[in-house]
Amino acid sequence: MSEIGNLSVALAALVSAYGLVAALLGAGLGRADLQHSARNATYALFLLLTVASAVLLWQLLARDFGNAYVASYTSRDLGFWYTVSAWWAGQAGSLLFWAWLLAGFGALVVWRQSAYRELMPYVVATVMGTSSFFTLLLALVSSPFARLPFPPADGQGLNPLLQNPGMFFHPPTQYLGYVGFTIPFAFAVAAMATKRLDDEWIRATRRWTLASWFFLSLGILFGMQWAYVELGWGGYWAWDPVENASLMPWLTGTAFLHSVMIQEKRDMLKVWNLVLIILTFGLSIFGTFLTRSGVLSSVHSFALSSLGPLFFAFIALVLIVSFTLLAVRLPWLKSEGDLDSLVSREASFLFNNLILVGAAFSVFLGTIFPLVSEAVRGVKISVGAPFFNQVNIPIGLALLLVMGLCPLLAWRKASAANLSRNFLAPGALGLLTAFLLRVRGVGQPVAVAAFALCAFVTATILLDFHRGAMVRRSHGEPYPVALGRLVLRNRRRYGGYIVHLGVILLFAGMAGGAFRTEREAVLRQGQTVAINQYTLRYEGLSQYPTPGALVTAATLTVFNGDEPVGVLNPQRNIHRGHEEQPMTEVAIRSTLLEDLYVILAGIGEDGSANFRVIVNPLMMWMWIGGALLSLGTLVAFWPERREALRARARYLLVGAEA
Amino acid sequence: MRPAALSLLIWVGGMGVLALLQPVHAHAAGDGVQAVVNQLATQFMCQCGCGLTLASCTHPVCGPRDRMLAEIRRLVEAGKTPVEITDALVAQYGEAVLAAPPRRGLNLLAWWGPYAALLTGAVVILLLGTAWTRRPAPQAAPPSPLTPEERRLLDEELRKFDV
Repeated sequence: MSEIGNLSVALAALVSAYGLVAALLGAGLGRADLQHSARNATYALFLLLTVASAVLLWQLLARDFGNAYVASYTSRDLGFWYTVSAWWAGQAGSLLFWAWLLAGFGALVVWRQSAYRELMPYVVATVMGTSSFFTLLLALVSSPFARLPFPPADGQGLNPLLQNPGMFFHPPTQYLGYVGFTIPFAFAVAAMATKRLDDEWIRATRRWTLASWFFLSLGILFGMQWAYVELGWGGYWAWDPVENASLMPWLTGTAFLHSVMIQEKRDMLKVWNLVLIILTFGLSIFGTFLTRSGVLSSVHSFALSSLGPLFFAFIALVLIVSFTLLAVRLPWLKSEGDLDSLVSREASFLFNNLILVGAAFSVFLGTIFPLVSEAVRGVKISVGAPFFNQVNIPIGLALLLVMGLCPLLAWRKASAANLSRNFLAPGALGLLTAFLLRVRGVGQPVAVAAFALCAFVTATILLDFHRGAMVRRSHGEPYPVALGRLVLRNRRRYGGYIVHLGVILLFAGMAGGAFRTEREAVLRQGQTVAINQYTLRYEGLSQYPTPGALVTAATLTVFNGDEPVGVLNPQRNIHRGHEEQPMTEVAIRSTLLEDLYVILAGIGEDGSANFRVIVNPLMMWMWIGGALLSLGTLVAFWPERREALRARARYLLVGAEA
Repeated sequence: MRPAALSLLIWVGGMGVLALLQPVHAHAAGDGVQAVVNQLATQFMCQCGCGLTLASCTHPVCGPRDRMLAEIRRLVEAGKTPVEITDALVAQYGEAVLAAPPRRGLNLLAWWGPYAALLTGAVVILLLGTAWTRRPAPQAAPPSPLTPEERRLLDEELRKFDV
């Protein structure tokens, strides 16, 4: 079977290279047959990589330990779903997964968006160029089909840290996000190459951008949730370089999502939009570079390899080619729109973009600064959570403020009446919130500011929903129907607002971290530890084997005041084959108000146990915020008949004027 | 419902949740030495190579972390101030033990670079924005007349709008 896999990958590399050359020659020479052939190559590429992926999956599930990859990441006792997830658990498999997704997206673009005839050869060339890089890596450097001379009786199994349901959600969504941004990038390159620099490429890729952003958001959220329940330190974001690497393209991608609206509405920011999508694509590759290169120590260090220099070279090539093309096309990128006022939605979007890109820059600088320091001063330094929190919290608060201002400022020029109508009551509400929190003795200025801004932004958004619904109600619709139809008839706008509400909840959950409390206690059976209103009584330890591990579980009865409210069982597991790396499985009691989070930190020989107990306020709201963000994106993503008709009408008008 | 009433409702709900939260300083005092150690654990990097702070090291069993935490606890119990503890750890492990680089020399670039970039960006936006707002508005070209057939097609399309 491995021969079929190797052959498929080798052919995929050849087909990618062929597709790249054929598409460029077809466009350059005006040869429709070559262009057609290049488009067909995307289907062939997808087929070949599907075969390669199917072979790998078969070998994983059949426990073919003659395959070095299978022997490294699975074992006989590994469950079905974790065995499937081994596809992206290691470097070679995840490269194949990436290449397969890219080929799938490429085929989908060619199939669904063939109407963009002029752009398509360069779109295909960009996709195939990227695919050439990944398939060459698979064929020459990191094959998932390498054979072992002597197959072991059993494999090494999956790293216990990866044996969490998050493994099935976090990497795939993260990759879908990273890979998805290739398509808007490819259209941007095509727009520059063909000088079709109006908003055609933006309209063509709006859904791709939204979908990629959605998956990247989901990937980040799933990663946070996974870190929270698996890593056992009570947090969800440690500002690890690889975490940062996923945040950077998300920030620039978010800026891009917003700024394209300005180009669509006002024909402005053409250069800026191209810069943003180039950066977003570059940063998506940079994320993989950081994960794979090991230039910075990371919690994702199970993924290190020697691929770093190759990724670095690829990123450099992408940036040089893209920015050179952009520089050459600058004369064609003059904006036709003008700014009517600095107090307008357009201007506020500029500040929104500035803050998002500023945040990305801040994260980038902090992430690479240890390398800069070592190169310039020869001194090793660390840049960890305290630095990122201090630098980024003010930026985050500014972003929250702008999120409240942007959507409700009028296009072109906001009048005093517009400002007062939309912001007076929410502004007063925000200030009142801050005042009352201070009066109540909340000492953390950051938390006060965050909650006040959350109140302000929530009020601006809900007021806009309310006003829209009231207008419809005045035409005779009952209020709930009016509210529903308002959202369904303006999906992009109100979907965006729902996303904003989700982000507010995320901010509120983060701000809740200021109220976190923590206790550590060594308890003997029957002893208790108290934290806030909770008392935890240690009832004892139990030990039992599971198919893959030896589990040691503590039993704690939880009292809220005097009332027993539940039992928690934090665990410490020793996985077979990873005896040197015992794993903690935290126990969490979640309510809307707070999480009671218990870690079994150590076990004494006398039966005593060391517990770390944390109360994390408002955590649940972060996950609800994530769900709301997903819902809003789906609403905005859902095809809108009126929008399609609008586009057709616009097409007819343009055609008539030409 | 009037906007002011809706605002009030949102706010009452939000404040209700916040009212149930208890400020952290209400509990920190009672935790004594452990609270100080926990706080300091967020300021120093674990030396096991995980790249995270002592507070967030992901290894369930971690010798370097436990040794450093024990050392910090000993220093706290000996009455050392956080500054003295920091100096002691930097002398022992080097500058890399600090989770945030000290605000001096080249490190200022990391601390202030993002704000300098944001400030520069804001100035550029304000300058460009001012220039753009002063630009005379281009004269709109008169619309090209549509042929009757194009007009019919357009009307047909527009009729499909459900406004």
